[in-house]
Amino acid sequence: MSDLVVAHLYPYEMNIYGDTGNVIALQRRLQWRGLAARVEPVSVGEEYDFSGADIVFGGGGQDRSQLEVAADLQRRRDAVHEAVAAGTVFLTICGTYQLFGRRFLTQAGEEIPGIGVFAMDTVGGRKRMIGNVVVGTPWGDLVGFENHSGRTRLDPGQKPLGRVKKGYGNNETRRDEGAVIGNCFGTYLHGSLLPKNPAFADEVLSRALRRRHGAGFELAPLDDTLERQAARMAAQRP
Amino acid sequence: MAACALGRLTGRLSRLLGRGGSALPGLVAEKVDPRLIERLVAAVRRGVVVVTGTNGKTTTTKMLVAMLEGEGLTVITNPTGSNLARGIASRLLEVASWRGRLEADVAVFEVDEAAVRPLAPRLRPQVLVVTNMARDQLDRFGELATTASHAAAAVRHAAIAVLNADDPLVVEMAAGAAAARFFGAAAPIRRAMPPDSSLYGTRTEAAAPALLDLSLERAEAEGDGQLVELASASGERAVVRLQVPGVYNGYNAAAAALAAAEFGVPLGRAAGALESTPPAFGRGQVVEYRGRRVKLLLVKNPAGFNQAIRLLTALSPGAEVLMAINDLDADGRDVSWLWDARVEDLAGSGHRFGTAGIRAYDMALRLKYAGLQAWSETGFPAALERFLAGVPEGGTGYLVPTYTAMLRFLDLLRPGTAKREVWS
Repeated sequence: MSDLVVAHLYPYEMNIYGDTGNVIALQRRLQWRGLAARVEPVSVGEEYDFSGADIVFGGGGQDRSQLEVAADLQRRRDAVHEAVAAGTVFLTICGTYQLFGRRFLTQAGEEIPGIGVFAMDTVGGRKRMIGNVVVGTPWGDLVGFENHSGRTRLDPGQKPLGRVKKGYGNNETRRDEGAVIGNCFGTYLHGSLLPKNPAFADEVLSRALRRRHGAGFELAPLDDTLERQAARMAAQRP
Repeated sequence: MAACALGRLTGRLSRLLGRGGSALPGLVAEKVDPRLIERLVAAVRRGVVVVTGTNGKTTTTKMLVAMLEGEGLTVITNPTGSNLARGIASRLLEVASWRGRLEADVAVFEVDEAAVRPLAPRLRPQVLVVTNMARDQLDRFGELATTASHAAAAVRHAAIAVLNADDPLVVEMAAGAAAARFFGAAAPIRRAMPPDSSLYGTRTEAAAPALLDLSLERAEAEGDGQLVELASASGERAVVRLQVPGVYNGYNAAAAALAAAEFGVPLGRAAGALESTPPAFGRGQVVEYRGRRVKLLLVKNPAGFNQAIRLLTALSPGAEVLMAINDLDADGRDVSWLWDARVEDLAGSGHRFGTAGIRAYDMALRLKYAGLQAWSETGFPAALERFLAGVPEGGTGYLVPTYTAMLRFLDLLRPGTAKREVWS
């Protein structure tokens, strides 16, 4: 019996930046509380019913992989929009985050259509934005590592995930990072994101657990000393 | 050749000032004569061998040098860590006369997988070896596919490419090669060592060659090393006791033996050279310290980490293991690769774990999420003390460091060695 179902989008194609650690973190943080998650991979070409999933996760990948995934994601456009509207929790990182916007314009001028969950566009640039990032959010400072050449511009009405305190975030000119709409999160932070940001990890889990098991559902606290030590060190690094 | 004299002078001065030989002489001489490398290597009688790839460059280079020297050939090679153009130029200057003359039969250079693209047309290698292509330092190299494209471009400038048949990204490079030879492993070994590209969604259309020129038939742990059996397409066979551990070193041995065959070294004699090749700096090297043995297993990326993990899981329970992770430029600033290594495989190993280095807490966290407990010390001397306290006298402890963390520990274990090895 699993208490939550985690759908892992394109685990084979979109996994190059250690994002698998996020899925590990979700599983472990449930397990340490006597709960369990079932992880279901969603692969290119396979049918998947998002209505059975509580959390949908997608990570960053290489350019070639992102192209393959972009085409497959188009097929799922309506299903993803329905799931977002129904309050399913989504966590999208880097490459998947970009594809959750309207479009990605590559440096070569090619347009890769996204699925338009977030009101934003991404434009490829020459310079890569690489380094440790700190972002202020309602769940405290999030610490991660970014490595992307795409610059993401949010529409004026699109809420960011947070404000950049260190690093680049969505682009090098504005200070916003990521995007959020309802229970759907997008961010450039990998490294992995969730193990070093336990409060945010628990926010993701809590939203999913309350949706499935009732608004009163509370997660028992865990000892996150090591998580905080690792985050503090990462925040100091270039 | 003014550049030569100036470069050599810089080398002398640099060493006198206690900075080691370093890459400085090469840097200076290359400014004066940008075609210095081309001029110098043209005099190498039987040509240049370039060894590139993500993992195994240093060990393969060392094995190949031993094989060629065993034949009585005069071989030039570059020291560990000097695998960019300036390091190679420095090494050539060191062995050249003041007038720029070089006495050598073969030059074997380990070359960085990004630097190999511009260097290959300058070195015009007789043989170019590509060990493997794995995810490594994404903050520096960008994507795996990009790194592979650099090596693929380099292959076009070699007379013969020696390629890993079990790595699809490397097999793909044969398309651009003037001639290709393949090393690989028998099916049971291959299945246990999936190529990195298969884990990161880097698809290739290239089909593995039907016949291997040199095959790794067997690879079993034995003492500090590995017992391997190699077989050539022409029917030669050799059983070798390598001084270095791990199946991956069986691959390195096969790569070196296949490259050596291009210089007429029969497999039987290559095997003899392999048995007498000690581990390269930090690659399975054992350092004696206070009556204990510290085995160094350098890790730089998930593929290398998985190799170290496989080695650790094969040990009897209760080993003391110290994982030391730094995030300086030479290590890769992004430590997210720790999450891609199969650390979970260590659960149930019964070993004791400690973590050290700038990112000691990141490593401890990775272990925690794999269900393993570990102590952490960010300071190197304190970490070493705590680690040694867990190794019984006469016993062996396992140190798994990233590059700059290894240098720090070697400075403590053997003051002066790290500097000598890197700058020799």
